[in-house]
Amino acid sequence: MSANKDIKQLTRDDFVTDQEPRWCPGCGDYSILAQTRKVLPEIGVPRENIVWVSGIGCSSRFPYYVDTYGIHGIHGRAAAIASGVKLANPDLSVWVATGDGDALSIGGNHFIHLFRRNIDINMVLFNNQIYGLTKGQYSPTSEHGKITKSSPLGSIEHPFNPVSLAIASGATYIARTMDRDPHHLSEMLLKASQHEGTSFIEVYQNCNIFNDGAFFHLTDKKVRSENVIYLEHEKPLIFGTNKDKGLTFNGKSFDVLNLANGDKESDVMIYDEYEYDSTIAFSLSKLTYNPSKPTPVGIFRNVNVNLYEKQMVQQIEDHTASNGKGDLKSLLASGESWSVN
Amino acid sequence: MAKQLLKGNHAIVKGALLAGCRLYFGYPITPASEIAEGAALYFPRLGGTFLQAESEVAAINMVYGASSGGLRVMTASSSPGISLKQEGVSYAASAELPMVIVNIMRGGPGLGNIAPEQSDYNQVVKGGGHGNYKVPVLAPNSVQEMCNLTMLAFDIAEKYRTPVYILADGYIGQMMEPVEFPKPVMNLPRHDWAIYADAESKDNLIASIYLDPEELEEHNRKLQRKYAEIEKNEVRLEEFMLDDAKYVLIGYGIVSRMLKTAVEKLRNENIPIGLLRPKTLFPFPSKKIKEITQRIEKFMVIEMSNGQMIDDVRLAVEGKIPIEFYNRMGGVVPSTDEIVEQVKKQLLQGERG
Repeated sequence: MSANKDIKQLTRDDFVTDQEPRWCPGCGDYSILAQTRKVLPEIGVPRENIVWVSGIGCSSRFPYYVDTYGIHGIHGRAAAIASGVKLANPDLSVWVATGDGDALSIGGNHFIHLFRRNIDINMVLFNNQIYGLTKGQYSPTSEHGKITKSSPLGSIEHPFNPVSLAIASGATYIARTMDRDPHHLSEMLLKASQHEGTSFIEVYQNCNIFNDGAFFHLTDKKVRSENVIYLEHEKPLIFGTNKDKGLTFNGKSFDVLNLANGDKESDVMIYDEYEYDSTIAFSLSKLTYNPSKPTPVGIFRNVNVNLYEKQMVQQIEDHTASNGKGDLKSLLASGESWSVN
Repeated sequence: MAKQLLKGNHAIVKGALLAGCRLYFGYPITPASEIAEGAALYFPRLGGTFLQAESEVAAINMVYGASSGGLRVMTASSSPGISLKQEGVSYAASAELPMVIVNIMRGGPGLGNIAPEQSDYNQVVKGGGHGNYKVPVLAPNSVQEMCNLTMLAFDIAEKYRTPVYILADGYIGQMMEPVEFPKPVMNLPRHDWAIYADAESKDNLIASIYLDPEELEEHNRKLQRKYAEIEKNEVRLEEFMLDDAKYVLIGYGIVSRMLKTAVEKLRNENIPIGLLRPKTLFPFPSKKIKEITQRIEKFMVIEMSNGQMIDDVRLAVEGKIPIEFYNRMGGVVPSTDEIVEQVKKQLLQGERG
């Protein structure tokens, strides 16, 4: 929703609640909370017009810790509850805090349908690749072979790639970021708030109790430059400690170019996050589980498509313009209904 | 084999293994997760299957599928998860599919909490889903019974072709007690109704649709005859000091453990009191309650709910003698002393004035 310039300038402290977070010390959730409290004063919406909706899981305790309106909802149903909140009152800034279990297993159905409709809701997925609240079972994003309490011989399931799934479902703003890159995390949150349409932000979040180090190859200072590529609009897809590697699209998938070894920088793709066609964004998302290629973070896709709630209001206005306002009494006696004495 | 000290939830898994069950479909939820984790640990090692479903809805439908194949299969959850399974249970009851469903009850309604409650009595004992069906419900009160009644549940499920519930609470699920394991069940029978993907079973159809109203009525009548048969044959209860009792306490599950100690304490004070513990909630021990009603002065029902089982006691007593009631909710377990005090206040006060 659009910024309101007349309101008092809020600060981070305005979004702190009196609740003590019930997350384990060292949890990546604290970083997401800190960046959210930093970003919310910047989105230009008064606190009373912001709603955080969650389902069930560690991530879903989030609404207790941001001083806005909040709904701690039903397992998996945050997307559906948020849809109801937004369509009942389209002027609200509606945010969803969810996790990989909540959004992708029991809530998988609601997850894809939220994106298909393109309601202006911002979903933040805390992906720690484990069920934390129930103390350590594999989740729909746990890697194949993962040993957990419910997969003692190793998981034989293949994980969802949440960004690929969001792209395939038609989300109009899709970003990925990491708990240990707070500056980038806050930038992704802010841009999501500015986007009109469903925004999806996947946050790689460390569960230091049940899945410690799942993303260390992407966050550890010694190796991250070689393993992460930042997607930036109108900038070349370059990565590596010495900025000497780049990505080029071969028509089917992405290849890594070695610029120090003779490959040309002019062959490196210049990224366009506003491209409507999601083929390139999807191909980039597929690099995620490939050890020989970097994992992309940043905005995969940022496009404007008809908003559900705008169409909803427009449809009623158009119909009223041509047919007049609905009258309850005449509606009661219309349709498959006959007057009898 | 020496007795094993283990959690109630693990005793369920081991009881299922002893009963020949090798298929488990479920979703993690506190305080029932150890059942899924135990199944994940043991089932595959005996050639079985464990699958962590994407939801309780998915799990109960996977159970529906596996049961159609004539195999012993189970799922487990806790209260909110059981609410989600109800659609599948209704379909399974109509399709007459044997399965065992474990409910380790927690505090409700809604998300509630993860502490023990008995507030799912109505949603489990009274059917829960849509349509004219009931399911046998077994209510263990010890870790030993978590094992034994799980084994019994599979037998009842197959005998009557029906889903069967184990209704326990977070307390019994989480507590540890020694268990003596019964002998394993060998040589499970082939069922003439199941789908084995062979020539013999190729005409079998598993369905719950009867478009013709009279056919559906007949199907419903058949189900009701089955429930009548279950009521006739499967009532199980525990009696404690009933013979000369003037007052009788009624409670099931973890509550009955407190009640038993309360009865012992009250008997030490020469109060003629006894305990009736339903081990099956459907079928309910109504006949026994009717019989006792003739010779005692008062009942007192104690539940960790807003008073759900008490309705079945009322139906059996038919208003002939008073029924007192004491309850705790929200995950609070009543202590023995608390119960003794309530018995004195409610059951005896009038008499001793």
